[in-house]
Amino acid sequence: MNIVVSTYLVYLAISIALTIWVAHTLHKNGRIFLVDVFHGNDPLADSVNHLLVVGFYLINLGYVSMALKLGYTINSAQEGIEALSVKIGMVLLVLGGMHFFNLFVFTRMRRRSTGRQHHPPVGPDTFTPVNAVHQEAA
Amino acid sequence: MFALTVLYDPECGLCRRSHEWLAEQSKLVELNFVPCASEEARQRFPQLNHDLTKSDLTVISNDGAVYFGPKAWLMVLWALTRYRDWSYRLASPELLPTTKRVVSAISQNRYQISRMAGVSR
Repeated sequence: MNIVVSTYLVYLAISIALTIWVAHTLHKNGRIFLVDVFHGNDPLADSVNHLLVVGFYLINLGYVSMALKLGYTINSAQEGIEALSVKIGMVLLVLGGMHFFNLFVFTRMRRRSTGRQHHPPVGPDTFTPVNAVHQEAA
Repeated sequence: MFALTVLYDPECGLCRRSHEWLAEQSKLVELNFVPCASEEARQRFPQLNHDLTKSDLTVISNDGAVYFGPKAWLMVLWALTRYRDWSYRLASPELLPTTKRVVSAISQNRYQISRMAGVSR
């Protein structure tokens, strides 16, 4: 096994482990957000949470495999570690970006659902006394 | 429970169509429709200027807040599940002047629009 192949294997191991860890964190902590967004509808929150995590895995693992190829030869362990560092750094940045995007989606969903009970968009022009009428108009 | 009474113009085809459309929309706030300047409207709001309500759409909440013209339109949008976000957007300081112009233009020409759209009667 030459040095390039070992670099690839280490890269894959670290990237996949990182992806799983971030997805797990999202899955665990995102659930509380989603339960709140869906007003305690647990099955729906779990379902959306699961779907989000699936998308997260697909995008990250897709990126990891696309970015695997080095495109140049490595002759020493030092070069191998340097190449590995750049690759892992890119994966970390993509994971970070995805993570913040997910947080953005969560907070947006939450704001939308809590914003429902809001005040009217405009203030009234005036006030008038109202007589209670029991027969309701259609 | 918070509810809105919409005083609409029964003479105008566009208003009746809008009324039908509104009746089918999912709402966050109850909407009651009363023809403007009708006996029922006068009974319910004895101190309101009913001649004024004939000139533009009027919305009154059950605690007596009166919204007239463009504000009334925004309140109706606000009552609808699908359009509540739009009511805030259209009422934002950047868009409110445009909203008011467009809504006033539609209101003032509602009979012509109704005629052109073939919904006058």
